[in-house]
Amino acid sequence: MITFSSQDVVKHYAGVVALARGNLEARSNEVVALIGANGSGKSTLCKIITGVVAPDEGQLLLNDQSVSFAAPHEALRVGISAVYQELSLVPTMSVSENIFLNHEPLSYNIVVNRRAIRQKTQSLIDLFAGTVRPSLTPDTLISSLPPDEQQIVEIIKAISQDPKIMILDEATSSLDNRQVTRLFELIKQWKSQEKAIIFISHRMGEIFRIADRVTVLRNGRTVDDHKTDDVTEKQLVNLMVERDAIEFQPASSLDSRISELGQKPVVLRVVDLQTDILKKVSFELHQGELLGIGGLQGQGQTHVLKALFGAIPSDGNITYNEQALISKHPTHAMRMGVAFVPGDRAREGLLFRTSIFENLLLPSWSRYGAFLKIGLARKDANKSAESLRVVMDGIDMPVSSLSGGNAQKIVIGKWLQRKPSLLLLNDPTKGVDVGAKGEFYELLSVLQKSGTSIIFYSSDDEELIGLCDRVLVMYDGRIRRELAGTDLSLVNLIAASLDTSGEDWA
Amino acid sequence: MMHSLQARYHRVVGNKTFVFPLVLFLLVVVVNLYLQNNMLAPRVLNANLRSFTPLIFLAVGQTLVIIGGSIDLSLGTIMSLVAAVMVTRFTDDASTSQFLLIVLLGIGVGLIAGALNGLLVAYIRLPSFITTYAISYIYAGIALWILPRPGGTVPILIARAYRALIPYGIPIGVFLVLILLLLWSFLRSTRFGTFLYAIGGYIRAAYTSGVPVERHRLVTHMIAGAIAAFAALFFVLNTGSSDARIGQQLTLDSIVATVIGGTPLSGGIGGVAGSILGVLILGFIRNIVSFANVNSWFQPVVDASIILVALATPGFVNLIRQQFVKKY
Repeated sequence: MITFSSQDVVKHYAGVVALARGNLEARSNEVVALIGANGSGKSTLCKIITGVVAPDEGQLLLNDQSVSFAAPHEALRVGISAVYQELSLVPTMSVSENIFLNHEPLSYNIVVNRRAIRQKTQSLIDLFAGTVRPSLTPDTLISSLPPDEQQIVEIIKAISQDPKIMILDEATSSLDNRQVTRLFELIKQWKSQEKAIIFISHRMGEIFRIADRVTVLRNGRTVDDHKTDDVTEKQLVNLMVERDAIEFQPASSLDSRISELGQKPVVLRVVDLQTDILKKVSFELHQGELLGIGGLQGQGQTHVLKALFGAIPSDGNITYNEQALISKHPTHAMRMGVAFVPGDRAREGLLFRTSIFENLLLPSWSRYGAFLKIGLARKDANKSAESLRVVMDGIDMPVSSLSGGNAQKIVIGKWLQRKPSLLLLNDPTKGVDVGAKGEFYELLSVLQKSGTSIIFYSSDDEELIGLCDRVLVMYDGRIRRELAGTDLSLVNLIAASLDTSGEDWA
Repeated sequence: MMHSLQARYHRVVGNKTFVFPLVLFLLVVVVNLYLQNNMLAPRVLNANLRSFTPLIFLAVGQTLVIIGGSIDLSLGTIMSLVAAVMVTRFTDDASTSQFLLIVLLGIGVGLIAGALNGLLVAYIRLPSFITTYAISYIYAGIALWILPRPGGTVPILIARAYRALIPYGIPIGVFLVLILLLLWSFLRSTRFGTFLYAIGGYIRAAYTSGVPVERHRLVTHMIAGAIAAFAALFFVLNTGSSDARIGQQLTLDSIVATVIGGTPLSGGIGGVAGSILGVLILGFIRNIVSFANVNSWFQPVVDASIILVALATPGFVNLIRQQFVKKY
């Protein structure tokens, strides 16, 4: 039996309070969920528990004894391991080397036993058998894996240490339904092996599926701690954000909107779009339409967006505003008014060390003349940061000082500067908290009203149902089904995602 | 499909980064043979290899540091310093035990210099590029203070034995390279080797995985310093004396050899075998230029142009391959 708790932990970053009073308790045979809006201090609390950062005040108790960690390996030594939100894998190394990094089995006490590493890795991968592609082997390089499999490798890496306390920080954000289901089966096993699990997720449904207890953080303070059975989703959301839950558009107005849209001109016509993943994808997009793309992750949704943007080579006919959109290169697509908001904001969307100001204006400097009109540029940047309601210390702060949700606003904001007529969104709300999502939805509807056409890929099914006029459900590189009007329901979406084969998905 | 292809490409080429230098090496050897017919005669080969050996050691040390995500621009001056220490302590008729003692002293100096670099880079967290560049002037200055004029001496018998040593008709340089490769493959298979690649690949991931990043970086720089001391030893044994400025230009050569050998400056990938090939390629290119009767004033230009082409070729190949992939 083990109990671990953080007591009144405080952490400041350069004057900003990241954590004001972080209290959390984890026990053997129990899954405790830690929830809170972005910037509420979940990740900071995690990093303190795992020894990545040191707390300014407060203490950590392991079985009622005070402990402190100067570095991650000290936390590992007492049996705490974590699946981190920002991936902690070395991209240039193989899956097996990453999993056993720092606890490699040795022969003769010195030489790394590669065969043992490979075998053990294979048996760990087999835990997720059936939900990962066969290309995931112990020798695969991390950099060649898609995000969901990288996340699975992270999970495997954490469990390979046989920890007493395991932290899963947004560990499901890249996983599809089947992978999540498998993970939850595994978590139940681990729980029965006397492990204590700390589970962090934005997906409310998952918390009710897996957690025994919920601890709520708000603005760096632990505000509540409940048995999961004693609370409702709505109560938790209210605890997290100090305002009412976000409102989805009422479904009744959908049909009238659809017919309205039918009269609007078609701006984008895609015929037989093909890449190495996509197989003859065809669809149309009306002006001012918000078209959703859904389905299990990795079925080609991102490829559709990237092909339209010219970021990957493709075949087929694309006409945009009656002009052939031969997307050879993103600059060409940009010139025609197409903007692409990438999903992996850390890698593709932002320069983290550069200021918010420069990030916002990066795609649109050409508008400010050869000798840059900095004053005007700053004014525009301030205006757009304000309209996006970015929480910041000023536009000269680096993007790295922002919380995840606010950083995502910058990614979108920088493309809005160019006033695009077609916006391609690649899973923009992944890992974004409920409050920021609400603001993001408002932003989308404002854009839509001003005539911007939007294609919106999301891994959040409910979001697609709530927001979109039409949803294309993709499976294996094809559009499996188009859902609109009364057909557009969660049941239909999930059924189509699974190719209506009646697979057991939950 | 795409991913598996990519994975296969990485497995075949990514783990064997020395494929390109190997091709280049064979090319250079063929051209060199054409210009210098007796190149493969044991005596000539031995002389050539002996003159390459110091740079081979430096390049191996540099490669370690670069794979670990750092760089050491003072490596050549560490070699100068150690060489200066050695040739001023050696006597013409030193006994073997005296000789070994002074060699140990030299290695100690190399370790200390490497430790100083490592402390500044790993613990004080200064950028290695600037730090080691600045510190190189300190090592160079001390070397000049110890050995103001070119000169010094080495134990004659030992040096003569080293120069003439061709066991089983194979030049001594070949054995030294084999020893280096053996040591490297051992290091690569230890936990230390894995950490080296992890730190160079993504230092934050290594840190959160519990790798003792700081200590490891310190030790890496120390090993590089010790290897530079060996470079100094084989240099003075070959030439019989030293010059306080001898190592300076070798620093950049060691980096060029590393990069030609397939270890990128970004860290986390590559290996020592390629770097050794890189040194041989550099050496033979210089041989070729001097045998091709190029005007000696013009030699550095030709020399540098060939090196530049060698460095740029993988980039060109990549560019062409990408065009190819885009079309099909």
